[in-house]
Amino acid sequence: MPGSIASFIIGVSSIFLAYYLAAVGHGLMEKSGVLNLAIDGVFTLGVAVAFAISVYTFSVPLAIFIAMIVAALFGLMLAFITTKLPISHGAAGLSTMFLGYGLAALVGLPARQLQINGRSLATIQPSLGGTWIWFYVVAFAVAVGVWCLVEKTKIGAAIRAAGENPASAEALGVNVLAVRLFASGVGYALIGIGAALFELAYTQVWSQGAGMGYGWIAFAISLSAGRHPILILISAMIFAVLDKYRFLIAAIYNLPPDVGKMLPFVAAIAAMIIFMVTPLRRKLAPPKSLGKIYFREERSV
Amino acid sequence: MAAEANNAKPTFLSPPQEGEKPIVSLRGITKRFPGVIALDHIDLDIYPGTVHALLGENGAGKSTLVKVLYGIYTPDEGEIIINGRPTRLTSPADAINTGIVMVSQSPQIIDTLTVAENIILGLEKYNHLVPVTKVYKIIREESKRVGIKIEPSIEVWRLSYTQKQLVEILRAILLGAKVLLLDEAITYLPIEEKQRFYKFIRQFADEGGTVVLITHKIYEAMDVADKITVLRRGKVAGHLDRKEATIEKIRALMFGERSAEITYERLPTAQPEPKTVLEVKDLWVMGDFGGYAVQGVSLEVKKGEVLGIAGVAGNGQKELIQAIMRLRPIIKGRIIYNGEDITRKTTYYLRINGVGYIPDLPAKYGVSIENSIIENIAVLPVYSRGIINWDKVKELALKLIKEYEIKTPSPDTPVKFLSGGNIMKVLVARELTVATNLLVAYNPTRALDEATAIKVRKVIKEKVLKNKVSAIIASEDLDEIFQISDRIAVMNSGKIVGVFPADKAKREEIEHLMVM
Repeated sequence: MPGSIASFIIGVSSIFLAYYLAAVGHGLMEKSGVLNLAIDGVFTLGVAVAFAISVYTFSVPLAIFIAMIVAALFGLMLAFITTKLPISHGAAGLSTMFLGYGLAALVGLPARQLQINGRSLATIQPSLGGTWIWFYVVAFAVAVGVWCLVEKTKIGAAIRAAGENPASAEALGVNVLAVRLFASGVGYALIGIGAALFELAYTQVWSQGAGMGYGWIAFAISLSAGRHPILILISAMIFAVLDKYRFLIAAIYNLPPDVGKMLPFVAAIAAMIIFMVTPLRRKLAPPKSLGKIYFREERSV
Repeated sequence: MAAEANNAKPTFLSPPQEGEKPIVSLRGITKRFPGVIALDHIDLDIYPGTVHALLGENGAGKSTLVKVLYGIYTPDEGEIIINGRPTRLTSPADAINTGIVMVSQSPQIIDTLTVAENIILGLEKYNHLVPVTKVYKIIREESKRVGIKIEPSIEVWRLSYTQKQLVEILRAILLGAKVLLLDEAITYLPIEEKQRFYKFIRQFADEGGTVVLITHKIYEAMDVADKITVLRRGKVAGHLDRKEATIEKIRALMFGERSAEITYERLPTAQPEPKTVLEVKDLWVMGDFGGYAVQGVSLEVKKGEVLGIAGVAGNGQKELIQAIMRLRPIIKGRIIYNGEDITRKTTYYLRINGVGYIPDLPAKYGVSIENSIIENIAVLPVYSRGIINWDKVKELALKLIKEYEIKTPSPDTPVKFLSGGNIMKVLVARELTVATNLLVAYNPTRALDEATAIKVRKVIKEKVLKNKVSAIIASEDLDEIFQISDRIAVMNSGKIVGVFPADKAKREEIEHLMVM
């Protein structure tokens, strides 16, 4: 049934792109050695910001842009405090996550009130005018672009060096702070765009807590593909399908709906095991200094 | 004593050459770490076209000084003057911009990156989006010119230690180094490679380059340096011209009254008992990158003797030692310890049964640098089965700190705040305490200065003689092998190619077997 295949491809296109951008951004940031535990909070905030801007201005591009900028600022802040000061990446990330949850409510609720009073929300309809095709084109273009950037260019080598061993990278001439600011800024900008698309092209509704948990799924997508921009295409697609059709899948196989909800996470664990028992292990190994405190003015061996 | 420089007025500086100005001058450089003054008002002039050695015992401040020169540490006080201009170096990138490049003892290049990626990171003339393949050609050309063979696309983890150091040097040249900081960079190379490096260093200096050679080996400084500055306890103990320098003078500056203890005489020969403590039978062990690193080795160690294993680095000693400690899988063969077949036993078994172990690269494999001396002692199964008696461990830590003259603010200080040599002392002290039956060691004194190294050897030998402990010690330092061993086994290409009683062994013969 070509019709149903087409509707399937169109149906998952928006959540696929949202997941893909958030996961690839997350991967880029972590390649530089900054452990990103703030993703779910900032993703949730990005969703709320996109919703609010869309309600206030009725402009989709503006909503995506502001969500991107807000997220990027969080990325810069995280990279700065964890690199410039001996602060635990975990503590900084989780605190920022809760900050994101709080701010999301603060930003979203007034807009939601306006919406209840009759203001409408500007959205993107993937099925209209072949928009969904562009979703896939953008995902593939970003995949190739990020891959070339990380694997083939000087700054890519610098990002990987900062993630492997920041002290050595510094000695080799890398400005670790600048590189981490770059990777985290760009990474979070992508997470912000992903969050905005999640809201405007996928769910298209907002209530308090919207988007919560989806940042963690982007985290799992990135992790299960070893932060590799091309492989993330595959894992993002698997998760997109599982998210879009989890209840359908549960119904077909006669599973309780709660099992359906667990499916994406079971898939994440399975994917990680598959990568780690194959020769991909070396290529997809996490950066050695991921999440380690790097403080220059300290005697080190 | 005279060598103790008074920091208020520097005793004497290197005499300036005719009309020549120093390329790098340090004035009153001071650097403090929690509880330690690593550098205390250092004054130093380095002239272009010279090889300037910085000598000092462990913890004298050599590495800290070099890191200040390379912008890794910023000094708390004092001034760095480069080419006559006061300069603030806040990062290695700053230093590289002024022509200062460091090559350190542990290769700084990153294992998961390719040679070319490692090199391009420091090359300012390439912008950030340049493809890495752009530098392949330059790397190939320049490596040919210097006379080394390096493939730019290879990942660094595939290279040997020597090759990594070659990449570091090549990188320094490509960065346009005018001042090359060699921080123990050649200390651990095999003899032949060392000779090649000496030649290169000489040539580099003759062409107008400047080399700062940081080492704790006096011979190394005497071999290539024009000028020698000795550091002691964070201060300049003295400056010497190569011509006026003698080993005795340098030792006196480095160690003060302790210099009298330095001797390379053989330590007393043990009288082993007939009982065999360790027996290795036809052992086959894989290396890191495939292939057998140990090929059918058989040997035995009697109760109360030191078996020294001589060999050039990379001939299977590391793998043999790791297999004995049950840290590396055994493909074929058997190991018997105290009459018990331990081929299938774990390291834990050895550790609770009186085996001490001193691995290579102590900061990486021997201690946990984030933890304190006390914790690093307590972690051994001998102390941590059940409930740890912290008072007892602390008492032991204090005793060892005193006995081994470990320079640390307190036993609670994380080990990473200690100098490399002092970290080694922590490890040696701990392991000698637990080695009630057998000590297994690989390069046990490699990071130590002469006086400390000799002291460690004496302590080991004393333990062997007094407590009838056995020891198997692999070392790349032939002086060490001769000084401490009762029997010497030579290892070459994974095989034992000869075993000699140490008092009758001839040095030339052993050297020949090592490189044969």
